Amino acid sequence: MKKTYKYTLLFASALLSVATSCRKALEISPVNTIEQGKALLSSKDVEAALVGSYSALGSRNLYGGRPFLMADFLANTDAIEWYGTYAELTQTINKSLLKTNTFVNNIWADSYSAINDANNVLAAIDKVDATKKNKVEGEAKFIRGSVYFDLVRLFGKAYNDGSPSTNPGVPIVLSPTTNITDGSYVSRANVAAVYAQAIADLTDAEAKLPATNGFFATKFAAAGMLARLYLQMGNYAAAGAAANRVITSGNYNLTSTFISAFPKMPEPGNSGQPADNTKEDVFAIQVRTLTGFNGYNEFYASPTYGGRGDAVISKDWIDLTYSNDDDRINAFYDDGDMFTSKFGNQYGNVPIIRLAEMYLIRAECNVRLAPAAPIGGQTPLQDLAVIRSRAGLTTTTATLIDILTERKLELAFEGFALHDAKRTQTNIGSIPWNANQLVFPIPQIEIDANKNIVQNPGY
Amino acid sequence: MKKLLLSMILTFGLISFAFAQSKVISGKVTSGTSGPIPGVSVFVKGSPANITQSDATGYYKLTVPNEAKTLVFSFIGYTTIELPINGTTVNANLKEENTTLSDVVVVGYGTQNKRDVSGSVASVKSKDLENLPVTSFEQALQGKAAGVQISAQNGKLGQGITVRVRGAASVTAGSEPLYIVDGIPITSGNFSSTSSPTSALADLNTNDIESIEVLKDASASAIYGARASNGVVLITTKQGKSGKTLIQFNALGGISTPSNHREFLNAEQYVQLMRRAGQGAANQDFLNGDYTTLQEALDDYSTIVENRLNRYSAGNNDYQTYKVNTNWERESYQDNPVTQQYDLNLTGGTEKTKFYIGGQVLDQNGIIVGNSYKRYSGRLNLTNKATDFLEVGVNLNFSNSINNRLSNDNAFSSPLQSVALSPITPFIDPRSGLISGTLPGAATNYPVYYNPFIGIENAAYKATVYRTIGKAFANVNIAKGLKFSTDFSIDNLNQNEESYYGSLTFRNTGTSNGDGQNISTFVINANTNNFFSYNTTAGKSTFDAILGTSYQKSTTKSSNIEGQDFPSDAYVKLGSAATKVIALSSESAFSFLSYFFRANYKYNNRYLVGLSVRADGSSRFGANHRYGYFPAGSVAWIASEEDFLKSSETISLLKLRASYGLTGNAEIGNYSARGLFAGTGAYGGIAGQIPSQIANPDLTWEKTKQLDLGFDFGLLKNRITGTFDFYQKNTTDLLLDVRIPQTTGFGIKTQNLGALKNNGFELGINTENFVGAFKWSTAITGAINNNKITNLGGQILNSNEINAAVEGQPIGVFYLPEYAGVNPANGDALYYLNTVDPNTGNINRGTTTNINEAARIFAGNPNPKYTFGLNNTFSYQNFDLTVFFQGVSGNKIFNAGGQYMSANGSNGYDNQTVDQMQYWNKPGDITSVPEPRLGYGNGVGNSTRYLSDGNYVRLKTLTLGYTFPASVLTKIKLSKLRLYATAQNLATITGYKGWDPEVNADHQSTNINQGVDFYSAPQPRVISFGINIGL
Repeated sequence: MKKTYKYTLLFASALLSVATSCRKALEISPVNTIEQGKALLSSKDVEAALVGSYSALGSRNLYGGRPFLMADFLANTDAIEWYGTYAELTQTINKSLLKTNTFVNNIWADSYSAINDANNVLAAIDKVDATKKNKVEGEAKFIRGSVYFDLVRLFGKAYNDGSPSTNPGVPIVLSPTTNITDGSYVSRANVAAVYAQAIADLTDAEAKLPATNGFFATKFAAAGMLARLYLQMGNYAAAGAAANRVITSGNYNLTSTFISAFPKMPEPGNSGQPADNTKEDVFAIQVRTLTGFNGYNEFYASPTYGGRGDAVISKDWIDLTYSNDDDRINAFYDDGDMFTSKFGNQYGNVPIIRLAEMYLIRAECNVRLAPAAPIGGQTPLQDLAVIRSRAGLTTTTATLIDILTERKLELAFEGFALHDAKRTQTNIGSIPWNANQLVFPIPQIEIDANKNIVQNPGY
Repeated sequence: MKKLLLSMILTFGLISFAFAQSKVISGKVTSGTSGPIPGVSVFVKGSPANITQSDATGYYKLTVPNEAKTLVFSFIGYTTIELPINGTTVNANLKEENTTLSDVVVVGYGTQNKRDVSGSVASVKSKDLENLPVTSFEQALQGKAAGVQISAQNGKLGQGITVRVRGAASVTAGSEPLYIVDGIPITSGNFSSTSSPTSALADLNTNDIESIEVLKDASASAIYGARASNGVVLITTKQGKSGKTLIQFNALGGISTPSNHREFLNAEQYVQLMRRAGQGAANQDFLNGDYTTLQEALDDYSTIVENRLNRYSAGNNDYQTYKVNTNWERESYQDNPVTQQYDLNLTGGTEKTKFYIGGQVLDQNGIIVGNSYKRYSGRLNLTNKATDFLEVGVNLNFSNSINNRLSNDNAFSSPLQSVALSPITPFIDPRSGLISGTLPGAATNYPVYYNPFIGIENAAYKATVYRTIGKAFANVNIAKGLKFSTDFSIDNLNQNEESYYGSLTFRNTGTSNGDGQNISTFVINANTNNFFSYNTTAGKSTFDAILGTSYQKSTTKSSNIEGQDFPSDAYVKLGSAATKVIALSSESAFSFLSYFFRANYKYNNRYLVGLSVRADGSSRFGANHRYGYFPAGSVAWIASEEDFLKSSETISLLKLRASYGLTGNAEIGNYSARGLFAGTGAYGGIAGQIPSQIANPDLTWEKTKQLDLGFDFGLLKNRITGTFDFYQKNTTDLLLDVRIPQTTGFGIKTQNLGALKNNGFELGINTENFVGAFKWSTAITGAINNNKITNLGGQILNSNEINAAVEGQPIGVFYLPEYAGVNPANGDALYYLNTVDPNTGNINRGTTTNINEAARIFAGNPNPKYTFGLNNTFSYQNFDLTVFFQGVSGNKIFNAGGQYMSANGSNGYDNQTVDQMQYWNKPGDITSVPEPRLGYGNGVGNSTRYLSDGNYVRLKTLTLGYTFPASVLTKIKLSKLRLYATAQNLATITGYKGWDPEVNADHQSTNINQGVDFYSAPQPRVISFGINIGL
């Protein structure tokens, strides 16, 4: 009897200990991450999600640089010599992109993830403190509008190629995804609709953003992006006006020398250091040692400066392109091969909009429109001279050709070559400006996952 | 004192004979089945030194003291008998031990007589696992359990090993079995910070293992419910035995060499091929219209190629005379790497307290330079009968391992990647006197790639693991047949990975002043099992049952810091790094709460029925589906007990079995069901958050329904025993990472979608071919597995563009364009179009030079269809010999390095495999190697060109041992002394032309990505000598 009593006590305590530990046995909350229902509750939460949207925007596959780099590769004839092993970029420079190209897919995926991030912010905008609400909304719309603009000009036919209101652009998604539903299987909107969405977002952003906002998007970042977008559409009046708003803001100045407009290269043997934007940067992606990534540096910089040294600049091209008295000829360095100095700092910010571009846009629009009074009250010759005098050059004429040439000299390797060729209907070597192969394929895995998406012609 | 007595007896032996105070006993030892038995030890009970052995005719003669009363007859494989001494003749008739029948096998939460097992369980005992120079026990298990396919990824030490029980039962969730050590689910799997996996199972000492049982069918494994679909591996460690303490010391030392070499071009061949490649490219440029005359193109290319050859020849023209001829493949291997293993075990105890103490030092040097593995481990298994009804005990295992690891197979810094370097490049650069490619100098373009040997001196990657597995348990006998068992265990794994890449590895790291990384991983895995077991016998009925509960919680914490810019390479700790580039910590946990029940009923010793059910709850699953129920049942009939077979001389055992049941697979991320935000959205130094995962509140386990039909047999008094199984495993509701439109902001969602099937046959046969003085026994295992994906929702998963998961095909099927050889007219590589005409369905067998135009075909299965093992054991007198073959068939291997190393000089300046010298040279040449065309990639795309048969038969283990006879042992006062020599991977017959058919490049291995070779190191051939000493 005594024994039985002892057993009963033993089992009871054993079972009890199990039972108590079991009550919350299966309730384990993630700690590296948090559940989405707890993520966007306060103003601070939404502001943090906005910062997250910037980090998505700064991905190497987005404004970290790759879409611009790939656009330049597609437009390349003799400037860039490719020695890399990444097949994705070999395809790009050969203008024979495959629909399985993972770089293309990464651009698509990261663009929409930035859009989804911005959509999360916009859907929770009412949680933001009243004093910050306009700013936060403006920034989210700047990000969303900018990304739609870059998506449509990479994955859709050029605005000036055929009918933008029937040519397929990219799907437009304006609300955050919290669950996969039938509505998640979207179709491509037409090119004009995507441009319209980008204009709406950027216009609203310009209206709501403050004039200064640290390194985040400002009223003038939105205006600058609009200037670029309108120029791409051939709406020169709007483009010139937008560029003029940036120039006349007075918030930005050209740096004294051309090279100082870009992150400073370290001394050989040292690694680069993060630094603030230059005074010429209207908008730049922030790179720090632990966050951000300079996607230009990865391929354009020699190994001494943190890159792979895969994209070498042709010595012949440099000599043919820049005159000896052009200071910009010095923006290259010799490290076994020639490399551009624009991206020689691994932790340098990625310039997205420089003031110089705004002068060139205003100049071009004024030349094209030839209005009685030039936009901004400055003649194309005056605007062009601003850019050229910094490079140590004098300016005598400012024809359209002069200005387009100046864009090449000034903005080389910054992602303008392909889009300029398309809007000016300039063939790339023997390849017509509107060739299918100059438009990105829709990633095959996106087509596999969503039957509503149609592939671009030629793929 | 005893020993003194023994020697006195020995000393006086002769004297006593002379004085006739003793008598001579003689007789014959026979066995019912095999006649006279030689070599039987015959001794006087109580005086083991007074011993002799039967001769070839079974006859023996032994002088014994007059007072001796009993003789003992003892022989391996037979039941020891004792016979009284009556007169001077004592004949003995020995009975064979029926070990195969009386074996006890470990099953979930208990043991069963093998005879009563109605499920499918493969059992491997310590004698087949011990004393092999392996790092982890899975390597010793390879080929020894039918239906358990074990494959190493490469020959690096301490690397992950792939184990599949009855085929892969999942596509994107885990496919490794559940590992249970002494009743507790231990932390297994991979905690490597690189993409090449290591295995937490390597912390166990193989020599501590008493037996390994693999639960294969549903009735055996469903007691482990939601985690049993991939099979369950039960590991039982050695326990104490009452009696005199046995002290055993084992030492083993050996030398490793690569089991195979791959041959690359020598200097002369390399120069010839590269020059020819320049000419080939010149011709193409000319044909493309880039040059007006061919000669101009040839001159240009000649300049380019000669400049490069000069560069790779350390900036001189020695290449023209082939003066330097470096064999980089051979340089990748260490000179005579030594493996040493020392074991000290103590087994003993009293009726009340029993203990096993084991300790081991393992020190292995890998075949590849810079690779080594050391492990120190100890174990204490202790039980105590506290009272007549209470038994308590502890199992404690601790180990410390230090693995000097190598880079992933796909890294330039992996030593075997040096085969890409030119044979004209000297190992030591004569210009600097340093290893070629070492700074200062033209480090960015000499040699062709980063020289991995720079890293051997200037970089280190060390993984240190401290592991403690402790279990306390108690068994309480409540009443007759009723027992309560409780245990509590903690399995604690602490791992630190530390690496430093010095400034001279700059070309590899891109960092001028050193890069250091420190990653700590801490896993604490707590588990408790509490269950009742009951058994009773009434008349012809036997009944047993268990009922219990278990709870497991496992938490993994890790931190990772990386810094760059060190004052000098003398500083390697991160406090000295000027720039910190990574600083993160993370934590993740899961829990399982389970209830289980099992009942077995046996009637009349011949009809068996088993039933089990487990209810499993897991934190991993969606709120809507947190619990699952996993029932299984089995029936068996021991037909040989029936009257019509009982008297059969031929059939000694025939048991028919059938089982069916449901198991699950829960091996997904700990939080896969939830919609998540991550705080990883920092930007410009300001914190931010981003959505990181889409929710799936419906997520639940993968379900596998398995049918097993089998029989066990014993023939000719069990001299031939065997087991045969047919199984069908249907897995549905696959835990699949399903691609969703990326326009949602997400790429994948883990869903229960899709199905796959595995079916197959397994055979295990053990025979005693000779049982006399010369003994020969054979163990055969064989298995056939057919794997087929039946539903993936129309997806094709094809991340590496080599292997695919696609409906209607086995998982990982090679999905490649089909190579059509070389156009004899111009040397172009050709591919079959294989496009299907949408109207007629005809396949276009035309060819193209553009690989992108060629439709991909299902070109073969990376997973073997047939796996087998053949173990022959011979013994004669004191010699024993084990010859173990193991092999696979029906699979293919893809050499993903082919596009660089077998690229007919068309893909840069990589050195080439020797077969590339058969290149197309002039119109009319018939060859499968296209014309070399530098930079033109002629034929280098991934295609069936680089696919070959993967079947192999390997002499996995050859062991020859000599055990000293008792007569010698008594003189040297030892109870056991055995010397042996053992060779691993001594010979391989294979259709694969690469280094080793047992391969899967470590950096890319997944369930789908299998059978891919990428500069992967071959398995070592280890030849070692050992000694077992028993005190």
